[in-house]
Amino acid sequence: MAASLSSAGTVRVLSTLARSSLLCSSSGSRGLHVTAACCKNRAARTRVGKGEKPLTYEQAFHPHHIGHCKGWLSQHTSNLKGEEGAAERTMEDVFIRKFMFGTFHGSLANEIVLKRRGNMLIVCALMIQKMSPLKFYFLIGYTETLLSHFYKCPVKLEVQTLQDKAVYKYI
Amino acid sequence: MAAPTVLRRQLFPLARILSGLSHLKPRSLTVCSGHRRCAVSRFPPPLTPSASFHTATPLSSSAITVTEEPDVLFQKVLVLVKSHDRAVLDSYEFFATTAAQELGITVGKVFEPQKDIERVTLLKSVHIFKNHRVQYEMRTHFRCIELSHITGSTAKVYLEYVQRNLPEGVAMEVTKTAMEKVPDHILKPMWEDLPADDKPSQ
Repeated sequence: MAASLSSAGTVRVLSTLARSSLLCSSSGSRGLHVTAACCKNRAARTRVGKGEKPLTYEQAFHPHHIGHCKGWLSQHTSNLKGEEGAAERTMEDVFIRKFMFGTFHGSLANEIVLKRRGNMLIVCALMIQKMSPLKFYFLIGYTETLLSHFYKCPVKLEVQTLQDKAVYKYI
Repeated sequence: MAAPTVLRRQLFPLARILSGLSHLKPRSLTVCSGHRRCAVSRFPPPLTPSASFHTATPLSSSAITVTEEPDVLFQKVLVLVKSHDRAVLDSYEFFATTAAQELGITVGKVFEPQKDIERVTLLKSVHIFKNHRVQYEMRTHFRCIELSHITGSTAKVYLEYVQRNLPEGVAMEVTKTAMEKVPDHILKPMWEDLPADDKPSQ
């Protein structure tokens, strides 16, 4: 699939893909072909409001800006030509984003950036200083241990904290 | 004998790597987009074995082995790196070529094969509207570094250094062309050794 959609877009694409794969009949003279719906006009775009909605830099730019003014949220080699494992990496990414969103509830300032270097999985997150540092350290250690047991690879969390969300513009 | 040269060449580059090359790390470009208040330029971790790659044994225990067998000689070692981001490949090429020059490896040519774009055309809507479609593409940029006339141990050291500092999202393919000694039995043409025979004629 495309380079990197935000979590909501990815979940929607995956659910439509799952539905379409159930509908596809494999053999027989009359096959049903269903392609994935991509909702290109609405993916990862915030609807314009009256000027009261704050947007971070990530949310302010649309997916066609990836590679121009946006970077990639999850960096791995499986989408390159001749490389395999794209589906597994995507599933891992979706799970990790949901897991982080749930563990650090309400204190994520921006989307999670996932980097895979060799065997290691590095999760870079920006947090809001909502809890005391002690609780943050516990949650970071808990996340690292659990994820490294799930995925059988070293998982490192790189966390930076802010006072509040970095707003790029208001829509 | 290849053994003393093996020993010398493995010690020398290792010493230079550990002492003088810390300024040569590629600067991984900020692809955590637009987090303006965070530290924008992140340097990859220093060349300690546990930081960049998870290894079971520390670097010091990978002992310098002195073997009797001669070292493999490579005519050409082709390092092809692929990525989605051209700027990352530019920076990595600078790092790899400078590292090769510092280690005294002759760099043949450094070129950029044409990028490959994989396009997918899908229906925009869930139901009907066949005339309205959406296209996605995945671009792969390449960069090829050719090293010529390199020994096996130098190649091992260089490739290990360069691979430990591969940025995330960059894949590498290494093609090695080895040189072998021509077997003795085909060095001279056979007809020179034959005694002066009469030609078998009918």
